Amino acid sequence: MTLKKMNQKGFVVNTIVLACLFFLLALLSNTGAGKGNFFRLVLTPSLWQCGYLIILATSLNMVLGFMGQLSLCHCAFMAIGAYTAALMSLAFQRAGVFKSPKGAVFILIMFLSILCGGLLAAAFGFIVGIPALRLKGDYLAIITLGFGMIIVNVINNLPFCGQNGLAEGSAGSSLYKNGLGFGMKTKVTYLWVAILLTILAVVMMFKYVRSKFGRAIQAIRDDEIAAAASGINTAHYKVLTFAYSAFFAGIAGGLYACANGSISTSSFAFTNGGILNSTFVVVMVVLGGMGSLTGSIVAAVLMFFVNYEIKNGAWVAMLPSGIQGIFKYPMLVYAFVLIVVILFRPKGIFGDYEFSLVHVREDLAKHRALKAQEKAEMKGV
Amino acid sequence: MKKKVLSVLLAGIMAFAMAACGSSGSGSSASSDSSGSDSSSSSSGDTIVIGSITPNTGGFATAGLACVNGMDLAVEEINAAGGINGKQVEMKHMDDQMDSTECLNAFNSLVADGVSCIVGSLASSNTSAITDAANEEETVLITPASTADSITTEDDYVFRACYADSFQGAIAAAYAKQQGYTDVGVVYCAADTYSKGLYDSFKTACEKYGINIAAEESVATMDVQDYTNQFTSMVNAGVEFVYAPFYYDSVGPYVIPQARAAGYTGIIMGEDGYDGTQGYVAEGTDLSVYNNVLWTNHFDPSGTEGKVPAFTKAYQDKFGEDPISYAALGYDCIYMLKQAMEKAGSEEASAVRDALADTSEVYDCVTGKFSLDETGTPVKGAVIIEFYADGDKISTKLKDTVDELPDS
Amino acid sequence: MTTFIQTLIVGLRLGSMYALVALGYTMVYGIIRLLNFAHGDFIMVGGYAIIFSVPAVKAMGLPIWVAVFPAIIVCALVGMGTELVAYRPVRKNGTAMSALITAIAMSLFLENLAQAIPAIGPNPKVATQIFPSSGIKIGKVTLDSSTILTIIIGLAVMLGLYFFIQKTKIGRAMRCVSEDKEAATLMGINVNRTILITFGIGSGLAAVASLMYISAYPKVFTTLGVMLGLKAFVAAVLGGIGIIPGAMLGGIVIGLVESFTMSYISSSLSDAFVFLILIVVLLIKPAGLLGKNVGEKV
Repeated sequence: MTLKKMNQKGFVVNTIVLACLFFLLALLSNTGAGKGNFFRLVLTPSLWQCGYLIILATSLNMVLGFMGQLSLCHCAFMAIGAYTAALMSLAFQRAGVFKSPKGAVFILIMFLSILCGGLLAAAFGFIVGIPALRLKGDYLAIITLGFGMIIVNVINNLPFCGQNGLAEGSAGSSLYKNGLGFGMKTKVTYLWVAILLTILAVVMMFKYVRSKFGRAIQAIRDDEIAAAASGINTAHYKVLTFAYSAFFAGIAGGLYACANGSISTSSFAFTNGGILNSTFVVVMVVLGGMGSLTGSIVAAVLMFFVNYEIKNGAWVAMLPSGIQGIFKYPMLVYAFVLIVVILFRPKGIFGDYEFSLVHVREDLAKHRALKAQEKAEMKGV
Repeated sequence: MKKKVLSVLLAGIMAFAMAACGSSGSGSSASSDSSGSDSSSSSSGDTIVIGSITPNTGGFATAGLACVNGMDLAVEEINAAGGINGKQVEMKHMDDQMDSTECLNAFNSLVADGVSCIVGSLASSNTSAITDAANEEETVLITPASTADSITTEDDYVFRACYADSFQGAIAAAYAKQQGYTDVGVVYCAADTYSKGLYDSFKTACEKYGINIAAEESVATMDVQDYTNQFTSMVNAGVEFVYAPFYYDSVGPYVIPQARAAGYTGIIMGEDGYDGTQGYVAEGTDLSVYNNVLWTNHFDPSGTEGKVPAFTKAYQDKFGEDPISYAALGYDCIYMLKQAMEKAGSEEASAVRDALADTSEVYDCVTGKFSLDETGTPVKGAVIIEFYADGDKISTKLKDTVDELPDS
Repeated sequence: MTTFIQTLIVGLRLGSMYALVALGYTMVYGIIRLLNFAHGDFIMVGGYAIIFSVPAVKAMGLPIWVAVFPAIIVCALVGMGTELVAYRPVRKNGTAMSALITAIAMSLFLENLAQAIPAIGPNPKVATQIFPSSGIKIGKVTLDSSTILTIIIGLAVMLGLYFFIQKTKIGRAMRCVSEDKEAATLMGINVNRTILITFGIGSGLAAVASLMYISAYPKVFTTLGVMLGLKAFVAAVLGGIGIIPGAMLGGIVIGLVESFTMSYISSSLSDAFVFLILIVVLLIKPAGLLGKNVGEKV
């Protein structure tokens, strides 16, 4: 089978699966009314959160897994995206362009706000990337951490980013008003936006890592000096990738602004105890496998699910009190998981394997053959 | 490899054993939620399930856990006295970790379980993430301590047990005016919603009362440990009255001693977050530095009027510590719900909402006797409390009671 | 003028603290090239160890600062435990990246573990005043004794470490390990033992830093080490990481920058300026103020 044919086949398979998925959701969303409805109250918000976590994790994986540079300011890029989208849509709302979240104009503004959030984040990624990427390893980690702190610190002190926002605002850590900030029912209505953007973002990142840019940054990861010697302009590729990745972190921020009525910088701070924490995202990427975008997707969904269930699941109450006591400190569990993963399976769940519906059968067969071979070798020894 | 497994196993067991001990030690607060989860409807059968969302882990856990204690105490008392409308009450406590997304998740899962009345959350930034949802889902939400003005509006499902920022900050300004200060200073934290909100209302009130803010300084975060420079600039500005809205855990060890060490001798005025400062004083500090510190509060824990003494005693007996205002507010929220449910004769959210929206209803609570205004905010006075060095400890005394703000 | 002197004193107070913490950071980094994120949390551990041993020390009628000795032991044990359980296995078969991530995880783990231990819990604890609040009067302001003592201790530790690493046998082994692990093994140096000792000393220093920290700022809480550790790390990088006098210099500079920003530029943007300084220095002189630029080996 030629490469082109394979791509065509992959396209067909993916389209069919996605179409089925959408059909299923459309079917489900009709049941989204009524009091205490599971779909509206639990599933939809979860899908929104999964959406932005997936984008965030995959975008970090581009930098951490494919380029081999640890960035600790992705949540700050996300904050930029979230604040931009929220304030821009709020400006349109205050100007009277739309009143309620309905109609074509609103949809246009929504996409425009999210896109601008992404672009601004990318611009910051560019600005941060130029100086930061001259350094690597520990230094890069600490300098990106510093940038993250600066961004949060500055947002806290911008008068239009606090309280009621824009002209009515005053500097503070929370923005109470948000032009997007969907309610429960609106979240159901616009669930397709979350899913569409997530898929688009992931596809665009896939395209990137499979292109010549992707090959270049993987070469940089494996050996920067050798890459430079073979004519790759390392600085250029590093900054470009960093900005590209920041763009998607910003898009994730835009989705966050849609899903949350109020935004607070403390949610994006390095020291935040919640799930949205630059270190938590690192956990996702490491767990899924540095260098596997599908791994990041699986890990993001898995981590979200575990996090949600630990806090809200009814089954937690049935566990013995000792385990319940541990679950009161979820971050302790995640830190432990991260250490265990690094110690015993540093590759993460997927390693650098990319899951694909088209190849799943062949991959499994290959894996089995490999295992069998290993076994045979062991016996031979 | 074997060693690796062993070492991780050991570390894990050690860590989790410790955590497990922790849970059994503080099990009292979680005991009531474990039994409540299997009943899926709020008012089916003979129990009423009330949800709560508070920050029980993380940096704000002191306040969250105190609030949970207050609510548990109220529920225990109510159940012992026969429950509400003849039904027993159960609490379902959720943790929001001071994060708005977690707060919304907790809210959703409570509503999905059929809970129709929720108490929460503490910080305004978190509560504002669920107010729209509460209205949309027609769920009654009473917040114990979210003071941001924008939280409650007319004709909605959101109410609160505390006064709003615009009132509390203004009391401090009114007091300054009453005492004849014309120049005042402010030290606050712009990165903290609470501190910032109080600063805004204090500033607005100062403009109204014709008081000049001669110096204002901010700190980067609430975790900052050095306030000396800020107070030095207060001293240089020559002010004798400084409004410093911070929390007890930085007021006790940092703000007050450092302000005095920087040479500031005037009045330090605080807010309800000063409650609990007594427990955060470094042993061996010269206690006289805590003189001349005033703060506004919801109630006077050492007071002898109304329900205060009974509450303070019951709380001390059950938890072995003095109640802070978050505990009192959590306690009051439950009693407000009880009164509303009894008035409505039902536990349906819409009926409870209508009962709470009745502005003529008077609630006799620990934090005062009050009714709710159109927005659902209590119309109640505040007390101004003063610290003073009392031998080898710091005591509080009632300085003033403010029922209404002066017009000018 | 009063403002200037007061700002200077606050800067020294903060700076001496950062310097003391940075010494521990830089020592560990200098030997094994690992950014030990958990170092800040060792300070938190030391703080709690001091708080819990103060009553016993008092009962024995000793001065309160003696509580630092049990804290040093606890911190050294925690540090060596961390090295044994987490860092060593990762170093054996992981990359520099996975070691860094382990360090971050370890830091998160310690913070949250502390919260989960019932005797500590989420509430902050306030320590007893350790040194009497006296000091030298300069005009209207006071340079308190704990600041002076912190600087003196910092200098003493700096000199002690310097001589320890330069003159003693273990110190030589440490330098050897930092230069080339394989060659060190060939020379008959037990690399793992040397690294373990490094961690013990570095973490023990953290306990000294916590003593000085709580004598100036008597509140201990589980996330105490996060910001403190970060700023101390910034200080270590600023001075040239791995260089012991550099840590001292960097710490004082960071403290002064923070304090003068607070007083003269913007009191709420001081954190941003601290990190801005780091970025600027790293761009101009990536090896830090006292560091030498070393080319990369191919």
